[in-house]
Amino acid sequence: MERAVPHAIPLGQMEVFQALQRLHMTIFSQSVSPCGKFLAAGNNYGQIAIFSLSAALSSEAKEESKKPVVTFQAHDGPVYSMVSTDRHLLSAGDGEVKAWLWAEILKKGCKELWRRQPPYRTSLEVPEINALLLVPKENSLILAGGDCQLHTMDLETGAFTRALRGHTDYIHCLALRERSPEVLSGGEDGAVRLWDLRTAKEVQTIEVYKHEECSRPHNGRWIGCLATDSDWMVCGGGPALTLWHLRSSTPTTIFPMRAPQKHVTFYQDLILSAGQGRCVNQWQLSGELKAQVPGSSPGLLSLSLNQQPAAPECKVLTAAGNSCRVDVFTNLGYRAFSLSF
Amino acid sequence: MSSESSKKRKPKVIRSDGAPAEGKRNRSDTEQEGKYYSEEAEVDLRDPGRDYELYKYTCQELQRLMAEIQDLKSRGGKDVAVEIEDRRIQSCVHFMTLKKLNRLAHIRLKKGRDQTHEAKQKVDAYHLQLQNLLYEVMHLQKEITKCLEFKSKHEEIDLVSLEEFYKEAPPDISKAEVTMGDPHQQTLARLDWELEQRKRLAEKYRECLSNKEKILKEIEVKKEYLSSLQPRLNSIMQASLPVQEYLFMPFDQAHKQYETARHLPPPLYVLFVQATAYGQACAHMKSSQPPRQDKTLSVAIEGSVDEAKALFKPPEDSQDDESDSDAEEEQTTKRRRPTLGVQLDDKRKEMLKRHPLSVMLDLKCKDDSVLHLTFYYLMNLNIMTVKAKVTTATELITPISAGDLLSPDSVLSCLYPGDHGKKTPNPANQYQFDKVGILTLRDYVLDLGHPYLWVQKLGGLHFPKEQPQHTVIADHSLSASHMETTMKLLKTRVQSRLALHKQFASLEHGIVPVTSDCQYLFPAKVVSRLVKWVTIAHEDYMELHFTKDIVEAGLAEDTNLYYMALVERGTAKLQAAVVLNPGYSSIPPVFQLCLNWKGEKTNSNDDNIRAMESEVNVCYKELCGPRPSHQLLTNQLQRLCVLLDVYLETDSHDDSVEGPKEFPQEKMCLRLFRGPSRMKPFKYNHPQGFFSHR
Repeated sequence: MERAVPHAIPLGQMEVFQALQRLHMTIFSQSVSPCGKFLAAGNNYGQIAIFSLSAALSSEAKEESKKPVVTFQAHDGPVYSMVSTDRHLLSAGDGEVKAWLWAEILKKGCKELWRRQPPYRTSLEVPEINALLLVPKENSLILAGGDCQLHTMDLETGAFTRALRGHTDYIHCLALRERSPEVLSGGEDGAVRLWDLRTAKEVQTIEVYKHEECSRPHNGRWIGCLATDSDWMVCGGGPALTLWHLRSSTPTTIFPMRAPQKHVTFYQDLILSAGQGRCVNQWQLSGELKAQVPGSSPGLLSLSLNQQPAAPECKVLTAAGNSCRVDVFTNLGYRAFSLSF
Repeated sequence: MSSESSKKRKPKVIRSDGAPAEGKRNRSDTEQEGKYYSEEAEVDLRDPGRDYELYKYTCQELQRLMAEIQDLKSRGGKDVAVEIEDRRIQSCVHFMTLKKLNRLAHIRLKKGRDQTHEAKQKVDAYHLQLQNLLYEVMHLQKEITKCLEFKSKHEEIDLVSLEEFYKEAPPDISKAEVTMGDPHQQTLARLDWELEQRKRLAEKYRECLSNKEKILKEIEVKKEYLSSLQPRLNSIMQASLPVQEYLFMPFDQAHKQYETARHLPPPLYVLFVQATAYGQACAHMKSSQPPRQDKTLSVAIEGSVDEAKALFKPPEDSQDDESDSDAEEEQTTKRRRPTLGVQLDDKRKEMLKRHPLSVMLDLKCKDDSVLHLTFYYLMNLNIMTVKAKVTTATELITPISAGDLLSPDSVLSCLYPGDHGKKTPNPANQYQFDKVGILTLRDYVLDLGHPYLWVQKLGGLHFPKEQPQHTVIADHSLSASHMETTMKLLKTRVQSRLALHKQFASLEHGIVPVTSDCQYLFPAKVVSRLVKWVTIAHEDYMELHFTKDIVEAGLAEDTNLYYMALVERGTAKLQAAVVLNPGYSSIPPVFQLCLNWKGEKTNSNDDNIRAMESEVNVCYKELCGPRPSHQLLTNQLQRLCVLLDVYLETDSHDDSVEGPKEFPQEKMCLRLFRGPSRMKPFKYNHPQGFFSHR
């Protein structure tokens, strides 16, 4: 096995440090701007980089257009989750959620619009926020993470209205059922819990690891990813990636993937998943692996489908994870190029 | 018969016969010329036309007479004979006439010819004359053009301009009223003026020459005086030596060194002056100590001064030397003709020749270890090289893995980023190398010393890229601006290398030598142990399967040093491939990990291994310890042991496996996992002693 050895360039102290930083960078979260032309990515150093998808996808794209338009220090700790509203980019990680105006974000020295911290009970270590979820009907935001609770925040007033308690370990992921105001959450304790937002009560619990079909004790119990579509729910993590029928609480399809999955989403009649390993996996609902498209990172943590109607030319799938690169898939079967921090 | 006789007698007959006949017509002629008769004269008088008539008439008569004779003869008879006789006589007369006419015709012809000839001669004469005249005309024309083309010498003389001439020349030369209108006179006047001026200048030149002569003589006299002064001064100096010694004032020693320094090539001289100045400045700063007793930087010149002097002798001498040595060589090699290879070898040696003098710099560190630097100057390449050697106060036990740390080859590598000292810094050298077939200087650095860029800068040699060689001159300010930083860097380098050397000695025995002032960085109980610390080759490092990222990021250059560490705890074995940059400790060592425990785990399949790498590689600043942070490597290794402890102890227990956990959790942790990538609590909080997430 021969390796391509890059041309030796003299490296000073700063360059070595920067190279090492890039080498150990993890991109945890991505979010597409409301106009569909920009992609925000947050890394483990608390930086958010804004990439211009339209520039990178245009026919005269150069190497520079694959670099961030702007990079700024958003948080002290890693940026675990980001969502975009009509006007704002919301980012969270180290216990705080911050809002940034999309309209001003491209300017240098952009200041956060506001920051909020959910009421935590512990004081020794600030719990992280692993997932953000927008509930458009209520104009609220759900935050979940290290303190094992789901906090709902009214986006109008910025006040925290409810705290949904029930998880026994920290929460990894959230998913919204579109018809009824119900939220699914999955956590380190291995349970997927279904919450009714009107009553703020837990209505259903699926303890995935207890089902023998999908349990994988050597990987642990944790549920790392979650997605839902009408009565169907797909979740994965320590246990195998499994498609569930919610009303009957039964696993219908177990996808044959050994590596733990960190992100899953429904797309048309396919399920896209990513996790440990270089590939973005595409599954038929029946459990067949339709395709595996290799990316450039050794492990993927987030997928983002740009489906903003405002920018049809930027309709791409982006994947990011354990590297400083965001892979861009112009169609589902082909990685076109990588954006890089 | 009759015709013959008549022919012989003809002039007589004519005379006798014609005289009475013609005598009537030519009486005046005959009378004038006396008794001479000239038929030629007669010709002139007769009309050719009438002669022709006469001739025709005579011919007709003859025909008629002949016809009558024939007629008579054919009739025959006796009386016929008389008549025929009569007729015959008549015909004879006619013949006479014909003869006469014939003669006349001949004479006329001859006369005509004579006339023609005469006329032709006249024409010829005229023709000749014409040609002579034409030739003369041509010659004259040539002469005229020659005259027109003639160039006078004065035209080449650069005369003063007209205005200047009228302004400066005295009126008796310029004669404005005459010369204004007449260009010829004007030119003559200007030439006169020129001559005048030149005479004056020549006079001045002579004066200057004599002046010079005078001054030269004066100089000679003064020189003589000065040279007579030298021995006297010397004797005074000699006499003062004991006094100097007595008073601890080694002026003379310094003076001698300066004397030698005069023979240094410019770059070494710059280095010498700057280093001496820097050394003295340092000594003065520590004013509490007696000067020159505890010098951190000492400068000396080595090599033979005579050889250096010989370099400046006229080239003839050196050539002689060369030929002499050549001859000797030939004798020793039994007159073997040098082959092409030998010639190239000689050329290479000549090109890589060092100046016989070199500058020694001894840099003393706090712990009494000394860095000996010897600077050389390659005359033909116009670059400087350095050889380094480190001596320590106490004898070092050299660990096997520390082999390269203090080796002269690598101790100074990359003092400034990218300065490997393997390539020549002078761009012009490449062309010189091409000529003698040297591919790169790399093969010769062991012999010659390393041509680091900072060495050139200390010598005041600045090589801008793509610049011809002749712009490179030794510059004091360049050297001065680099002296301090370089000396500091050199000191740090030696200290960090010695510190590493010490650390390696313990590491090889499986002891991580954490110093007491770094103890707070780690928990008191660390179970994982370092079991192996070996050096590996660059190629081996490149071959490892878990070092790909570092290689691709360009951090695995061949100037770095490579090591392999093995940390063990129970059945878990953690391999760590370490890249040690020559710039340690300002550039941290880089670790790549591979854990063998429940399968092989590297950064590509385990996020926590990746996190451990980033803990030692990226967060190295908190491991530096007290300045100048030479303990970094030790701390990183100890940190790695702690990280392995945390990794193993916090591993989620597999419910399906029977029996107790291999590694019971002993560390105090707030939470086991955190965040989407399920990080383990690797951060150690010092006074409280618990672990948390970063």
